[in-house]
Amino acid sequence: MTSGMDVHVQQVVAQVPGADPNKVEEAFIRYEKDFLVPPEDAFRSVLRRFQSDLGEVKPATGGASSSAALPNRKVSRFSELKGDDRNIEIEVKITTHNPRIQMIRGEEKQIAFGTIEDMPWSEGEGDIWDYKDWGQNQNLSPGAIVRLEGVSVNEYQGKMSLNINQSSRIVVLQEGTRDVVNPSEPVEISTIKGEGMVTVVGRVLASREDVIHRKDGSGSIDVVRGRIGDDSGVIGFLSWEPFTHEVGSLIKIQHAQVRSFRNTPELNLGHSTKVEVYRDTNFASLDDLSLLTVSRIEDLTDGNRDVECVVEVQNILVRTFSKEGGEEGKVWSGEVADPTGRCRMSCWQEPPFTEADLPVVVKITAARVRAWQGIPDITVDSAEQMELLDSPPWGKDLDLSENVVEVELNTLTSGASRVGISTAGTIVSVREDSGIIRRCSDCKRVLREGACATHGEQEGVEDVRLRMVLDDGSATLSLIVNRDACLALLSSTEDEIKDRIMADGQTVFVQSLRERMLGRKLTAIGRTIVDEQGAMLLAESCTLEVVDTVLLAAELRQHWGVA
Amino acid sequence: MVLSRRSPRQPAWHMLASEFGESSLHEKGSGEFDPSFVITKLGAKVNRLIVAGLIERLEPRETANGSTLYQGQLRDPSGLHYFSVGDYATEAMREMAIELATRVESGESLMLLMVAKARWFQNEEGAVYTSLRPEEACIISPSVYREWLAKACEQTLIRLDAQQKTVSLEANRASLSEAGIADHLIDGLILAKPHYGEFDSEMFRFNIMQALDIIENKDISREKPLVSEEKVEVGDSSEANEEPASESDLKQTLLSLIDALDQSEGVDFDTLLSNAAARGHERDAAEAMLDELSDGGEIHEPRFGWFKRT
Repeated sequence: MTSGMDVHVQQVVAQVPGADPNKVEEAFIRYEKDFLVPPEDAFRSVLRRFQSDLGEVKPATGGASSSAALPNRKVSRFSELKGDDRNIEIEVKITTHNPRIQMIRGEEKQIAFGTIEDMPWSEGEGDIWDYKDWGQNQNLSPGAIVRLEGVSVNEYQGKMSLNINQSSRIVVLQEGTRDVVNPSEPVEISTIKGEGMVTVVGRVLASREDVIHRKDGSGSIDVVRGRIGDDSGVIGFLSWEPFTHEVGSLIKIQHAQVRSFRNTPELNLGHSTKVEVYRDTNFASLDDLSLLTVSRIEDLTDGNRDVECVVEVQNILVRTFSKEGGEEGKVWSGEVADPTGRCRMSCWQEPPFTEADLPVVVKITAARVRAWQGIPDITVDSAEQMELLDSPPWGKDLDLSENVVEVELNTLTSGASRVGISTAGTIVSVREDSGIIRRCSDCKRVLREGACATHGEQEGVEDVRLRMVLDDGSATLSLIVNRDACLALLSSTEDEIKDRIMADGQTVFVQSLRERMLGRKLTAIGRTIVDEQGAMLLAESCTLEVVDTVLLAAELRQHWGVA
Repeated sequence: MVLSRRSPRQPAWHMLASEFGESSLHEKGSGEFDPSFVITKLGAKVNRLIVAGLIERLEPRETANGSTLYQGQLRDPSGLHYFSVGDYATEAMREMAIELATRVESGESLMLLMVAKARWFQNEEGAVYTSLRPEEACIISPSVYREWLAKACEQTLIRLDAQQKTVSLEANRASLSEAGIADHLIDGLILAKPHYGEFDSEMFRFNIMQALDIIENKDISREKPLVSEEKVEVGDSSEANEEPASESDLKQTLLSLIDALDQSEGVDFDTLLSNAAARGHERDAAEAMLDELSDGGEIHEPRFGWFKRT
């Protein structure tokens, strides 16, 4: 028994003269072991127990309740709960989870708060409540469906929320989508996604003072913006507290908040963040890391800031527009490429090259990235951010004019939308609506039952399209084959296809497509759109691959040692 | 096509019949809309698969509520797949089932490729039977069959290798990931290990070798290894019979096999023919003898493809 416990045992005995000190000590030990409540916090409960003469503490099975006398109450909706409910059991879905450091009674404690939704198994929205987790539970990942046992209701100023106590039990029924990170252990920068609290060790790669103006004009805040990197990646940071670490210094940032600006995570250094100098002679040097600061097109995502990259500008055109106040503004937009892909670029000042000079290779610094329909747009505000290079860092031999990057199917489905890619997979489905479709004359959307979702009933314009599913055994994507690609793939004209459908009917036509393509390997070139609904590839060309099976069999024998 | 946010479309696994058929583990998420999976010995967590083979049978059966169910068998180098096309199948599948049933009946040899959903059924004794519910299918040429076979071999070899690795590893995500096992295999392997325990994977390697032989057009006359489940203490099981056995021997052999292997469910068609073949009997002759025994009432099929002594 710790000396701390001694004191508390004495206190209980002092207040309850008949109490057996051994039993009191046992009670404190039980609280500590079974309910994870330290003596100073258990004091009141133990005291109450001995005052009411119950004596022994019975650990409930699974440590579900700190009060054996209070029965476990199971509910299915928050609306069934009252402000004084304790020891509740309910199944919920975790919507958010945010670890924080809070000062409680003079001590720094790690707690988490967030929101939960009841009726997690039903379609349609359940009710949402706030919760506070006092038990440092690591399994409350957003998206997970859990059964909470032994939780209590907290009513404060009329608002009810749930307290997940240190003694509460959490059973995960369905895994969430994000792992809960221990906010005090350093993590690799490339793993930082989404919201949360993290600790990182990295080298300061950029740092500059900035000012954030309050939207209501009531003042401004001095902040420091910069970038910090380790050998896995680089991330931007925004410090609300003074930050004087110089570029090149190796620091440990503890308990930074991750906020997403558009799709890009950023470290926010706030009041409870601790920044200190870190010593590690093996850490990557500034030179090593500066290679990482140069972005590749395949890495760009919506919301990137302070981007440095080298691209080949392939075409550019200028557009004029009217600004507020009648002035004329100009924007130069173009298409750019590097060995990892293609995307767009927008410049708000005249660039240091003309259309006649193209193609040119430029180094761009301090740019920001926006995205449109999944395609990144490198946005440059001033011409000084662009520097013409004599030769590209990837060597003069690489011709980027038609470059298409080969990417594995499961990499495409788990990444951001991309342009100019090629991938291959097995055709596992030919959708029933493949063939002749009609598109809305106004917005080009596919008409359903003769009507456009936005523009209503109409004749529309005829088009040819195939819809299939491409699969590599671990991921799938929706393949949409456009008109030209279709006609080439089927070696057919639009009229021939129409005639066939008229003669044989839609079902037979689609089945004939299956006879040609189901189970075959297909390579498709085009661009992807990846969002919550999944991954889609808009193909501008497709080829059915002929597999040399004899060669493949021989390779398999050799590789796997099969006789 | 609107994809549900809850469960993305499940990928299709290239799989040989033996791996799917020998599965006895299934899993379903607790959510109402969660997909269900069959977990194979090699750790594949299968909801959808892509299979191919020769249509061995395809027959209409009347079900209890009066609708027609087409039940079929697909044979690949490793064994048989069982599939059924019922009322809930697409129009395309139903029309194909009707047409193909007629063609198979008239003796045509047809190779079929199908993308199907994994189905499992557990009886009161806890025995698990797997089968397929086709979503899309088509008749294929020998060259497309070889393409499918090659892919199936490749994937099975990868799974075999991963499963072998897990024998000496702790069944958790971290250790499997560190050992270099592909992400999509990990969940299934973690579930498979405690359920299947240790087993002889020799049969899987043998099936793959046969498949590779077929791809390369080699002669497929390997001696099948006798795996422990199939060993039978009937007669001289240790030596393969060299001369073709006589008809009465065949009848005796089949009846003794049923006696020895029947564990109350009966013995399935494929096991009987394979064991008979290992004793030197031609598959066709064995099949014909089974028909004869059925007609004569000495054996019966309590369930399609399973034989018991009457």
